Amino acid sequence: MNKFMNFLENMLLPIADKLNNNRYLTALRDGFMVALPLIIFGSIFVVIANFPFLDRLLSEDAYAAYQNALGPASAATLSIMGLYVIVGIGYKLTQHYGGEAIYGGVVAVAAFLILNPQELDDVTGVIPTAILGAQGMFLGIFTAFIAAELYRFFVNKNWTIKMPSGVPDSVSRSFSALIPITLTLSIFLVIRIIFSFTSFETVQNFIYTIIQQPLTALGSSLPATILAVLLGQIFWFFGLHGQIIVNSVFDPIWYALNDENLQAFQAGTELPNVITKQFIDTFLVGMGGTGMTLAVVLLIFLIGKSRQTKELGKLGGPAGIFNVNEPIIFGLPIIMNPLILIPWLLAPVVVTIVTYFSMATGLVPKPAGIIVPWTTPIGISGFLATGNSWRGAVLQIVNLLIVMAIWWPFLKIMDKNYYENEKAKK
Amino acid sequence: MKRILLACSSGMSTSLLVSKMKEVAKARGIEAEIWAVAQDKAPTEMERADVLLIGPQMRFLKKKFATVAEKVGIPIDVIDPIAYGRVDGEAVLNKALELIGE
Repeated sequence: MNKFMNFLENMLLPIADKLNNNRYLTALRDGFMVALPLIIFGSIFVVIANFPFLDRLLSEDAYAAYQNALGPASAATLSIMGLYVIVGIGYKLTQHYGGEAIYGGVVAVAAFLILNPQELDDVTGVIPTAILGAQGMFLGIFTAFIAAELYRFFVNKNWTIKMPSGVPDSVSRSFSALIPITLTLSIFLVIRIIFSFTSFETVQNFIYTIIQQPLTALGSSLPATILAVLLGQIFWFFGLHGQIIVNSVFDPIWYALNDENLQAFQAGTELPNVITKQFIDTFLVGMGGTGMTLAVVLLIFLIGKSRQTKELGKLGGPAGIFNVNEPIIFGLPIIMNPLILIPWLLAPVVVTIVTYFSMATGLVPKPAGIIVPWTTPIGISGFLATGNSWRGAVLQIVNLLIVMAIWWPFLKIMDKNYYENEKAKK
Repeated sequence: MKRILLACSSGMSTSLLVSKMKEVAKARGIEAEIWAVAQDKAPTEMERADVLLIGPQMRFLKKKFATVAEKVGIPIDVIDPIAYGRVDGEAVLNKALELIGE
């Protein structure tokens, strides 16, 4: 068994290493980190604008006026999050190469805007906000990568305008960016013109149809979600940070799906997706951390007899409320513990399926596209993520009970072992 | 003054450890600045640290950080998983001091 574990770890570590140290995936993840404060800001105002019962307390006009007043907060941030992710990616990738990062950020945005339609329903001089959100997410990501690479390429060519010494540094820097930016953006303009002669008309349309739609369709399926969840659990079983590895691949899909729901939620139409960023963050990770270990903490308080598990419950409990669970993962331990492997893999899959069908059948509202910080405690997060529905909170509690039931026999065996060891030592 | 930097995915779980390490350092009368950061901030923060300790769940970052650490000239290591699970401030502080060369 030990040999097998070692073999697996030796196989997983390089994968984690590759995925996490890949400069594009790192820039992508950090790009989302840049956008996150804005995303959360917008989410807060979606929640406030949709407080429960307000629609019944206020007159129809007053409610509409209230929502209109708060609308710009999320419209300028959450709804156009793609824009901020692009700035983040361009910035972080250029920074990685040691270039002038802010130019990498702006050149990525400019390239993206060049590739996009600049009219809507025959009105010219506008940029449709839809493409700055979910719809443009994939094009934005690719554009940011390519723009930052081209910018670096041209900077390295050193076709820059040299300023005489004595010119202030910032002045000469702004000129040094001129040629690389001009060349980079010209290339994107040419790409735009080429695409205008195809049946897709815009690059945006091309990427959306050829890549984004198939990928998000695949990513929103139950099997793909179970696979992503299982991968995260397996990485964690070997003590490797599962989300940071898996999410760097899945986040663009999950965020895009999330944003589609947000648009529908704000328009008051049927929400299209069950699987979203919040499906994962709120109903799987948001229950005490990866593997929903708040259930394990509660079980320890319920049935724990050994000093070792009881101490761990006290140590890991408070952090677990805020979904930080490294003490439980490394302390129980969950890592490399063959007995725990069964509930560790089984519980998240069962919860994924239960949550999926609760939402697909309409028993519980689908995630409304609001991004709830992952440290939000259980109950509150479920309520907020489903667009202020108590049923979201109840589903979390039901899931918690399911996880406790699955873990019960395994924790009991483990605790008994510890207990007997402790007794023998005395 | 010892400056001990810890890093994990978002600096959350290592900050649990930081508070425990601070308690121990205070009790032993060791003057130390101990703080935790998210992994993307680690390379810049390393410049003002004497040692970097990485959360075991992020141990695949060691290679990447090692190149920066070499440039800055500080030792780095991965925190022992057992000490991490127990949030054992004493053990991790000892490790950090040992790496700095006390």
